[in-house]
Amino acid sequence: MEDGKKGLDIFGLIKSVLFTDFVKGLVITLGYNVSRSITLRYPDTEKWIPYRRWRGMHTLNKDANGRELCVACELCSRACPTQCITVIPMEDATGRGIADRVAKVWKVDLVRCLFCGFCEDACPTTAVRLGREYELACHDLSCTVKEREGLLKPQPVPESFEGGVVVGARFVRTPGGISVVADLSKSRKRAL
Amino acid sequence: MTPVLHGISILTDSPTVVSARAGALEFLLANHALDCPVCDKAGECELQDMVHKYGPHKGRHTEKKFKFHEKDYALSPVIIKNSNRCVQCIKCARVCREVVGVNVLAAIGRGDHQEETSFFKTQLDCDHCGNCIEVCPVGCFMRLPYRYKARPWDLKGADTVCAYCATGCRMVMEHRDGTVLRARAQYGVGVNSETLCARGRFGFDYINSPERLTTPHVNRYGKLEAATWVEAFDYIKESLMGVSGDEFGGIVSPRYTNEEAYLFQKLVRDVFKSANVDSTSRWEASGVEAFAAAAGMNEGGVSVFDCMEADTVVVIGAQISDENPVTDYIIRRISAARKMNVIIVSPRAMKLDSSANLLLRVAPGAEGAVLNAVALSLVPDKTGGYAQTADIAKDMIDALVAKLKASASVAIIAGTEFLRHPESCAGLGFLKDSLKSSGKKVLILPALDRCNQRGVWEMGAHPGFGPGYAGVEKRGKGTHEMLEAAMDGGITSMYAAGVDIVSMFPDAQFAQKALMRLKFLIVQDTFMTETAKMAHVVLPGATFAEKEGFYTNQEGRAQIIRSLLPPPGKAKRDFDVIKAVGEIFDTGFGPKNPALALDEMRKTNPMYRDASLAFNNKRNVDNKLDIKAALVKAADAAPPSVKCAPAAIAPKDDKYQFALMTGNHLFHSGMLSKRSVSLTGLLNSAVVEICPEDAVFYGLKPGAKVIVKGAHYEAVMTLTVRPGSKRGVAFIAENYQDCPVNRFFKKGAGTPQVAIRPCS
Ligand code: SF4
Ligand code: SF4
Ligand code: SF4
Ligand code: SF4
Ligand code: SF4
Repeated sequence: MEDGKKGLDIFGLIKSVLFTDFVKGLVITLGYNVSRSITLRYPDTEKWIPYRRWRGMHTLNKDANGRELCVACELCSRACPTQCITVIPMEDATGRGIADRVAKVWKVDLVRCLFCGFCEDACPTTAVRLGREYELACHDLSCTVKEREGLLKPQPVPESFEGGVVVGARFVRTPGGISVVADLSKSRKRAL
Repeated sequence: MTPVLHGISILTDSPTVVSARAGALEFLLANHALDCPVCDKAGECELQDMVHKYGPHKGRHTEKKFKFHEKDYALSPVIIKNSNRCVQCIKCARVCREVVGVNVLAAIGRGDHQEETSFFKTQLDCDHCGNCIEVCPVGCFMRLPYRYKARPWDLKGADTVCAYCATGCRMVMEHRDGTVLRARAQYGVGVNSETLCARGRFGFDYINSPERLTTPHVNRYGKLEAATWVEAFDYIKESLMGVSGDEFGGIVSPRYTNEEAYLFQKLVRDVFKSANVDSTSRWEASGVEAFAAAAGMNEGGVSVFDCMEADTVVVIGAQISDENPVTDYIIRRISAARKMNVIIVSPRAMKLDSSANLLLRVAPGAEGAVLNAVALSLVPDKTGGYAQTADIAKDMIDALVAKLKASASVAIIAGTEFLRHPESCAGLGFLKDSLKSSGKKVLILPALDRCNQRGVWEMGAHPGFGPGYAGVEKRGKGTHEMLEAAMDGGITSMYAAGVDIVSMFPDAQFAQKALMRLKFLIVQDTFMTETAKMAHVVLPGATFAEKEGFYTNQEGRAQIIRSLLPPPGKAKRDFDVIKAVGEIFDTGFGPKNPALALDEMRKTNPMYRDASLAFNNKRNVDNKLDIKAALVKAADAAPPSVKCAPAAIAPKDDKYQFALMTGNHLFHSGMLSKRSVSLTGLLNSAVVEICPEDAVFYGLKPGAKVIVKGAHYEAVMTLTVRPGSKRGVAFIAENYQDCPVNRFFKKGAGTPQVAIRPCS
């Protein structure tokens, strides 16, 4: 270093005269210009479907006979570190659930949720799963609390779908809000 | 069994112990349903805790689990059963037999097919006390009203005291998001330990009743309308301005806390300058003085456990198994072990009879005569007192006397019949004195049926004495005299705090007429009662779960209650309401809060000077239930001595075959419990109870509808029989809205007579 400071930096001088660094940069930029694009055209024509292990919005599940798996044991709400799940049980012997104990209220406040998945781990009946729904932005706080009724609805991406792919999508704007509807029949691996 | 010897070494966590313990738990789980996620006990289950701490976390049993049944079944309107979780400890059957004394549960079957349930698994006809639920270590017995409502960790609780009878059971009330969900007792805490009765355990749900008064009401143009507090107070101000002295009367509920009762009597005495203050509408003020004097209530508290140390326990004039169920449990439990004499003198049979070794069936109101006769034969130089008690066989009295003579100490549990028939109090006092003069130790425990009846008397809410039984300058009017005065215009305004005079005064018609004449009536209550409907101003108050303060139970044990919830809507704590009414007329009126009231009380009332409120919520170190420091001390003064003349005895009329008795039903207390859904589910419509012999004799069928006809009122109700009761006695509890028993009564006419005939 001592020497370098004292002596004349010939190479540095030549480099700056010939704009070497500038050209290097340009080469990278121009290279990307002609390479294949990895940008997702989201939300208009494409959308990423995460892997099954993804921890997105909660789903409440049913067994093969269509009975709710949740027995309102409140373990999820107990395990939750942010206490964002509220469960109020009730008795219903009509076969709505797998036991005569079902949830009267099951709601989760997504604004407080960490998506840590503790609730999923605590659930003795695998009723609650963190699903693959990740488009959670909305205009006011009222839509951040998700209730049982909505969470019980079948998911747009079925469990059988492997995930980890980019699929076709359509951006839909309705008076009820906006959504990105996936078309699972067209999928491609994400280029990296 | 290995006896413990000096130098013995006991290993509790050697590898053998650890594996044996885990093995035992593994066997307990062999047939256990393991449905913790659905079970209401999960979170506070002893089996769960044990297995979590010591158990094998993996079972090796691969056999199919044995199942008793698929679905839980209801054993009573308040109990639901799941036997698949049972660990066959038989605690449930034992508590039912040995403590509650009902004996309707048993272990049916053998081995792991042994099921603790009712015979034929049918609905129980029992006390519905729920003690089987409390003692069950797992989720076999469960509360129906609490079923699938919450987890134990969701509940916020407050230590309090049951607000029904004066046994003063300690309990924890728990709520989830403002809805009170359960009341439970704790092992080793309070006189009751983990036991409660049906009222205490299930009767709290009126607190969340939608019928609660949530706003003041004022009478505008003959109609009660919702109003603001300011409007209500303005109305009170303009109507009561200038009213003072004898024109005003106040009655405070025996369910109010001591602080509230203390403030209330100050309001009447100091602000309105009136001597007319009372605390019940059911019995006469002079009877209260006679009872307090005879029972020696001014001499300080008497612990029920000290009474149980006596050689002979006499239960007289108290329907203890119905009115004070937990006192009944205490007597049963201790007498089974100690085998002391238990003597019961009562017209009605009761559950405790099975623990007694002498039963005397007497006519209603004859307690005094019996005690007189007994006392006379105890005093050596006076004999021949039997003449007055023609009704009771001489050999019975002799047997009683013999037992008393042979005992060095005697405890007398004297109940509310003495207040209904105050002339009996003289007999009680006489017996006490004779026993004392023959050198015996005597304890008298008053058995009362309202949680703070004793407390409000000791706070001075009585026309004949002030706080601590101190004398008053001028004797005021009790409820009876107040209503009489209201009839002829002597009293123009009244303040009824928490009392439903119309439903409870023994002559409903008279009470209604008298209240109608008032120029101004303030009613403070939690519900729109019959009396509130007649009021000019109705002020919404709070239930015991919504206030801070303390109660004094029948023994004289001071016990703190804690507030669980704020009062609903615009309702206020009763202390604040009474204070605000006082401040309308005197801005300096106080004490300003319950804590200051307690200070003032401690300074001025010697009974409460040293009564400890501190240790009541804790478990006693030596596991004894008796906390003596909480007992009130002796007063400086004694209640004035009064002589109560016997009520006029109506000439026996052949039309009426039965003498009518009243009191509280096991499932109810006053009119308040009628607001509880659980308790009305246990018993809703009125029943009249007679003995089976009378039913056969008069051709009446138990369970059938009958017409009960008195001189002033008749009603249709269901007939029940109670084996062992005295013939010619009919019992109707005071708790039915559909047929208020007080309508059978006529003021000054004594015990009413009724006829019962089948409904055609
Ligand atoms: S993911 Fe975690 S933070 Fe979110 S609800 Fe479940 S436990 Fe709570
Ligand atoms: S989702 Fe699972 S853990 Fe949560 S209450 Fe239902 S059963 Fe229990
Ligand atoms: S509720 Fe009481 S009386 Fe009925 S079975 Fe249980 S312990 Fe016995
Ligand atoms: S107390 Fe519970 S566990 Fe024990 S025998 Fe009774 S039902 Fe079974
Ligand atoms: S009513 Fe009396 S005996 Fe029953 S729980 Fe309440 S205080 Fe105890």
